[in-house]
Amino acid sequence: MASDSTKVAGRENTGLWLCLHFKQLPVEIFSRDDCLYEAAAGALQRTAAGALQRTAAGASPTGTAVVITTRQRICYRNQVARDIGIRIGSSMDTAYTLSSEIVSFERDEEKEFSTLSYLAQWAYQFTPGVSIKAPHSLLLDIKGCLKLFGGLENLKSRIDGKLYELGYTANTGIHTTPLAALCFAEAGFAEANSIEALLSLPITCLRADEKIIESLKQMGIQNIGGLLALPMDGLSRRFGVSFADYLQRLIGEKPDPQKFISETPRFFSDITFLSDITNIQSLAFPVKRLLSEFCDFLQARQLHINQMTFKLSHRNHDPKSFTIYLASPENDAAMFLMLTQLQLDKINDMPEVDNLCLAANTFYPADSVSDDLFHNMHSLERNNSLERSNSPERNNSPERIQSKADLDRTNRLLNMFRARLGPQTCFGLSLANDHRPEKAWKTVHLNQKNYWFPENEKEDNPRPLYLLNVPQELKAIHHLPSLGGQLELTRGPERIDFGWWDGNQSARDYYIGRHPCGALYWVFSEKRSGKWFLHGIFS
Amino acid sequence: MSRHLKTALPKELLQRTGLWRASSIHCDFRKGVSTGFKILDDHLPGSGWPEDGVTELLHDQYGIGELRLLTPALARLSREQTRWLLWVSPPYIPYPPALLKAGIDLTSVLIVKPKTASDTLWVLEQALSSKSCSAVLAWPRNINSKQIRRLQVASKKGNSWSILFRPASAADHPSPAELRVQLFATKTSALQKSTSINLKILKRRGGWATGIINLHFGDTLNQAIPDFQAPVKNQPQALDKEQPDSKVDGFRLH
Repeated sequence: MASDSTKVAGRENTGLWLCLHFKQLPVEIFSRDDCLYEAAAGALQRTAAGALQRTAAGASPTGTAVVITTRQRICYRNQVARDIGIRIGSSMDTAYTLSSEIVSFERDEEKEFSTLSYLAQWAYQFTPGVSIKAPHSLLLDIKGCLKLFGGLENLKSRIDGKLYELGYTANTGIHTTPLAALCFAEAGFAEANSIEALLSLPITCLRADEKIIESLKQMGIQNIGGLLALPMDGLSRRFGVSFADYLQRLIGEKPDPQKFISETPRFFSDITFLSDITNIQSLAFPVKRLLSEFCDFLQARQLHINQMTFKLSHRNHDPKSFTIYLASPENDAAMFLMLTQLQLDKINDMPEVDNLCLAANTFYPADSVSDDLFHNMHSLERNNSLERSNSPERNNSPERIQSKADLDRTNRLLNMFRARLGPQTCFGLSLANDHRPEKAWKTVHLNQKNYWFPENEKEDNPRPLYLLNVPQELKAIHHLPSLGGQLELTRGPERIDFGWWDGNQSARDYYIGRHPCGALYWVFSEKRSGKWFLHGIFS
Repeated sequence: MSRHLKTALPKELLQRTGLWRASSIHCDFRKGVSTGFKILDDHLPGSGWPEDGVTELLHDQYGIGELRLLTPALARLSREQTRWLLWVSPPYIPYPPALLKAGIDLTSVLIVKPKTASDTLWVLEQALSSKSCSAVLAWPRNINSKQIRRLQVASKKGNSWSILFRPASAADHPSPAELRVQLFATKTSALQKSTSINLKILKRRGGWATGIINLHFGDTLNQAIPDFQAPVKNQPQALDKEQPDSKVDGFRLH
């Protein structure tokens, strides 16, 4: 973390800290999509700590037992695994004797930390003061944001709800000092924001060397209250200055500055599926979840995006990724979902998926466009202009008014076309600054809107509504063009001369030719060769 | 018969706006978009092209004036609404100088070129129901009446005018389109300065099919060159000034 961008918070007497302890993080980084299915089965209950946890005793028979191993030993397990009797520390062989349907993963501490950093970025939506406490905790300085979220209870339930949507579970601890909050969260006790509650915590909750805890126990000290009753300089002499310092920070006698995360506008989130997904359509649910995370991320930072990339991978196949481009930077979960759906529909060569990830790197500041209060005024005005345009004065054409709703709809349509048909298939038209008929126009990429209009109109000669990409050579009979019948030249000629500047000189005489059936064509004869060409149609 | 009815109905009843009379096509209260041609306005319900629904233009040959028939209405829509004028796979490039000359605001023109027939129908349905297109022009191949019915529903939902160019042979088959017009080329004599088109309304709301209507565009495309002999021996001809109507005013550099 760059030190210049790190804010160092000074301690205040009346600080308030919320600690989120992700006890099951090693498991949940792999199994977070699983709990959604359980949620669908309604097998959830709120624990006293406020965190949403799964019910015990196999209330969800569909759940998969997940264990995390280090060096062939189980170090973490989920609730389902616990219910079937798998113990921490036993080997995989023992686990397989209990159940054959166990999914195991090697512990991935790197991924745990990156997920924790991601969660820290996620928590940034609640408060700017977020600090990471490795290995599995986050500290949030919530003193300043209580009013915004309408009190502590509201904030807590909001955090719980959002965490549940993410698929992570956490114990919450709240106290006036960061370390105390951490103690409460790690102990998993119901938080009580008072010094008495802190004093009654057992000393095993302390973040201290096990030797110290052991010798304190042998001294007959059971809780923090007993420990703090001892003289501090004695403790410092016996257990070292750092332990005394820790205790003083714990009870708030010494300031405890935290390193807050610096805000990185980068988004990356993924979901691992425990069982392979074979039907692309059933990705809709996890996609929705990633997108809602993404929109929260954008919302908290007041950012918009105009492109994002999904990546579908499987251990046996090449990963497949697709990028969604938007007509203009936006943050609209419903539209993102629809566009993703369109892209997913196109994928037909991905037999299985076991990991889905969403990433975005380029962000734009959101322009705070407010919808107009008097929305109906626009349609009124439009009707007026409709009446007005009946009058001959066309010079002052009414100012084009485009409300945000109109703009949204327009962009939505463009986005849909691009998502399904590809970015090159829709474009606008503009004039170009060239007198050659085939170069007097250009296509306009709708992101750039580089329209060009002449300052003053001087072109008075008729132009056809259809132009052929490449002039089509016509047969000439008695020096007159013919296209399934002799063309009768009715108007012309109009000489268009070009190429004299690069030695490629060519002069064309344009005429309007009338077909015997009545159709009007724009034809020219090339001066040098005398050949006739069809260049346009007056349709 | 109609004279008999007229006398039979009290005058005040006739003046009440809610009364629909089969004999009059102007009982439609939805005002259409003026076609720019008086003679055609008189034959269409709402005195103009419908603002929504499917309109079919049936013709076999390009270049008979099928687009010139629409440009006054399209120009009006493009300038009065902030919505797109969508062209779905036009057969040739809609030539921007000519569109501009016809008064169409180019910033509202959007071209989409779907590759397959099913994509074309998808584009049409999405565009029509999205409420972000004022008019959608399409040249569908092999569209059946069920599909047209869907487009009709979508276009009512999105308040968009859908224009389908179809071959003349489609006139033999029924279609759920709200308005069907068959177009015929005219063999304008060299004496006439302006070109014209013959059209026949096959189906419209509140009226029967009409006979052939001859419609003059009021342009100068047909202006013959006096003493024109051979293109080899050309002298710059004084071209007639365009009529002020076909010019675009009030355009600024965007």
